[in-house]
Amino acid sequence: MDRREFIKKAGIAGIGLSVPTSLHSIVHASDDVNKTSIVVATGESPSKITRAAVEAIGGIKRFVSKGDVVVIKPNIGWDRLPEQAANTNPEVVAAVVKLCMDAGAKKVRVFDRTVNEARRCYHQSGIADAVKKAGGDIRHIDNRKFRTIPINGKALKEWPIYSEIIDADKVINIPIAKHHGLAKLTMSMKNWMGVMGGSRDRIHQKLDQSLVDLSMAIKPTLTILDAIRILTGNGPQGGSLDDVKKMNTVIAGIDQVAIDSYGATLFGMKGEDLGYVRLADRAGLGTMDLTKIEIIKLSL
Amino acid sequence: MRNLRRTSQGVFLLGFIFLFLQTESKGADDLGYPVKLFLDFDPLILISSFLSSHSVQKAFYLSLIVIIMTVLLGRVFCGWICPLGTLNNIMSSISKKSRRHVSLKWSKSKYYILIFFIISSLFSLQITGIMDPVSLLIRSFSLSIYPLFNYATRAMFDTIYNTGPSSLVDVSESVYSGLKQTVLSFKQPYFYQSVFTGLIFISILGLNFYERRFWCRNLCPLGALLGLLSRYAILTRSVSEGCNECGACAEVCQGHASPDVKNEWKKAECMYCWNCDDICPNNAVILGVGKNSSSYSTGSNTNAGINLGRRGLVTSIMSGVVIVPLIRSTPFLNAGASAPDLIRPPGALPEKEFLKRCIKCGECMKVCITNGLQPTLMEAGLEGIWSPVLVPRLGYCEYRCTLCGQVCPTGAIQTLSIEKKIDVKIGLAMIDKGRCLPYAHATPCIVCEEVCPTSKKAVWLQKAAVKNRRGDEIIVQQPRVDLKLCIGCGICEAKCPVKNRPAIYVTSTGESRSLDNRLLLNQ
Repeated sequence: MDRREFIKKAGIAGIGLSVPTSLHSIVHASDDVNKTSIVVATGESPSKITRAAVEAIGGIKRFVSKGDVVVIKPNIGWDRLPEQAANTNPEVVAAVVKLCMDAGAKKVRVFDRTVNEARRCYHQSGIADAVKKAGGDIRHIDNRKFRTIPINGKALKEWPIYSEIIDADKVINIPIAKHHGLAKLTMSMKNWMGVMGGSRDRIHQKLDQSLVDLSMAIKPTLTILDAIRILTGNGPQGGSLDDVKKMNTVIAGIDQVAIDSYGATLFGMKGEDLGYVRLADRAGLGTMDLTKIEIIKLSL
Repeated sequence: MRNLRRTSQGVFLLGFIFLFLQTESKGADDLGYPVKLFLDFDPLILISSFLSSHSVQKAFYLSLIVIIMTVLLGRVFCGWICPLGTLNNIMSSISKKSRRHVSLKWSKSKYYILIFFIISSLFSLQITGIMDPVSLLIRSFSLSIYPLFNYATRAMFDTIYNTGPSSLVDVSESVYSGLKQTVLSFKQPYFYQSVFTGLIFISILGLNFYERRFWCRNLCPLGALLGLLSRYAILTRSVSEGCNECGACAEVCQGHASPDVKNEWKKAECMYCWNCDDICPNNAVILGVGKNSSSYSTGSNTNAGINLGRRGLVTSIMSGVVIVPLIRSTPFLNAGASAPDLIRPPGALPEKEFLKRCIKCGECMKVCITNGLQPTLMEAGLEGIWSPVLVPRLGYCEYRCTLCGQVCPTGAIQTLSIEKKIDVKIGLAMIDKGRCLPYAHATPCIVCEEVCPTSKKAVWLQKAAVKNRRGDEIIVQQPRVDLKLCIGCGICEAKCPVKNRPAIYVTSTGESRSLDNRLLLNQ
């Protein structure tokens, strides 16, 4: 079942509890790496550790096939510089774009619905330039391309979602790990706010549940959490270098919940401290308990 | 000669449009082009700003080039360079009727207008920009014509996108994407008073159907200034013995220069379009440097155009004097009485100084990356009409953007570095607890805190236990504003989920440019 089919089926049948089993089906039968493994790669070069992490989780060919239209979703939400750690590290994004191109992807699209002014976010984050150089297709959000799809969650029943992510063959989520005033931390699951149309600010009224609903509907083929620099305060946009901590780490995997649960430990927290991680675990979206997953550590 | 002139007009008009289109951010901290160049070359703005504010931006010395050029060559700026003049020229060409000359008397009006502006700026009132052609053109394009063009183009492509067959959509979308990268703005601009400023501009163009280049001949204060400067120009016109006063040249004259009456050629009204020379059936027109010895018309009265008459002169001077106290007897200039919504862009001088410099050209509004800078109508008094005001509900002040100060031609908005800009308070945010979700409705929301750009954040959250209707206790985080840290950028107001009358909003109180309007004791 491909992504398009999945979303169609989810729409027709209603996702409900059948989601976890549906999710399993995206993992190819021949996979030798367990679904609940994550790779934690550490090292000085962001692009090197990104490539190594993808390799260790099964190699890019496991996720991207020749001719695929791939969507890469970094966080480009803020008018901040890379060293301020408010947006995904441009080198990490570029490395993933390059991997996908090398794997024979037909097109690699990169976008985000920004919070600050879009032109500044794309430029100042360094992501627009990096993606262009790597051969990806980075474009601004086109407001005509949101399509209302059924979410059928507990908080979100339906929502306009950017059609390019619905229509993509493969989706790769590349969030950055940051502090957040309400969610406490924003990582993989919260990154999906960047594909929501409409007045997405309203979801803060039931943020944890909304993020779980959203993450159930948009399933990434692969998630790479950027923790080259993490933002420990005044998130999610920071600004002061005092709040930035250099970790030189990326975490790759398929299980968004496991990744966010591991990400919490970078801030001295646990997965269960985060409401959306708890809810996602309960809903069967992934595994919060780090003792139940295989953590492959790489140091370069 | 006509083709040469048209080429020059075309080049300058295209250059003007190019710079206008470049007055838009691509995400970097600067624009990469000297977008206000045409204003820098405008001697009327140089003189009036010098008189009103006793200060001159360095770039304005470029306008000395136009002054020298006019002193030597006459009003070639009007005929060969001015982009508004070229537009008027084009409109006149479309209209047959415009060939008539309504009345020579009208052409004096522009001198009265010029005197009125010069005298009022002598008494520190800067309203010249309302009628200065370059300022008027940029303002009209920014606030009205360009938004109109964008709207129409977008509507057309959106209609095809939404309803057309897919083969057509593929073609139209690739054209659309090409236009987006060249002539369309990043997003549709919207401005208050786009209709008002647009109608004024369209009327100016429409007047060409009444009389050829009506604006240039009769109203333009810059044209009047250049007319005065052209008095001793060495590029002059004369006619040889072959002239039989057939009147063919009067038909094509772009100005009110009376080329058909011997000895009556009015240098100050001549825009050096060369039409008379081109059309003359007897080839009797001589346009050249110095008094042509072979000229039939020795002692030609080249100053015939400027004979203003005592009554008109006194009236325009008196109007220029009286307008100042008239326009200033308004409570708007007192801090306590100023409109709370009068949030000036960061770097704006204290209000009185600001108004002495702002020429209402609209550059800052055109460049404002969020479209938040809007033209005032009466919020700053009549004196401040069309000056920039930030309307956070439409667009906040982007924290790290400094473009409005960069494009301001007169220094009304100072150019600030990013480091300095983020310390400038343009106002302060305050919370309307009656509308705020965590305060009034026991509903979680932290959007204002999330988007607050200062570090540390000016909007902070205080945990509070509130009861909902069922009596359940809910812990919410209620936003508070740290007035010391808040810079009034308004992103909280812009992003507040309570639309149309947000639960957090900025007013100008606390703005650092004004000593009277500050709020905190130790600011």
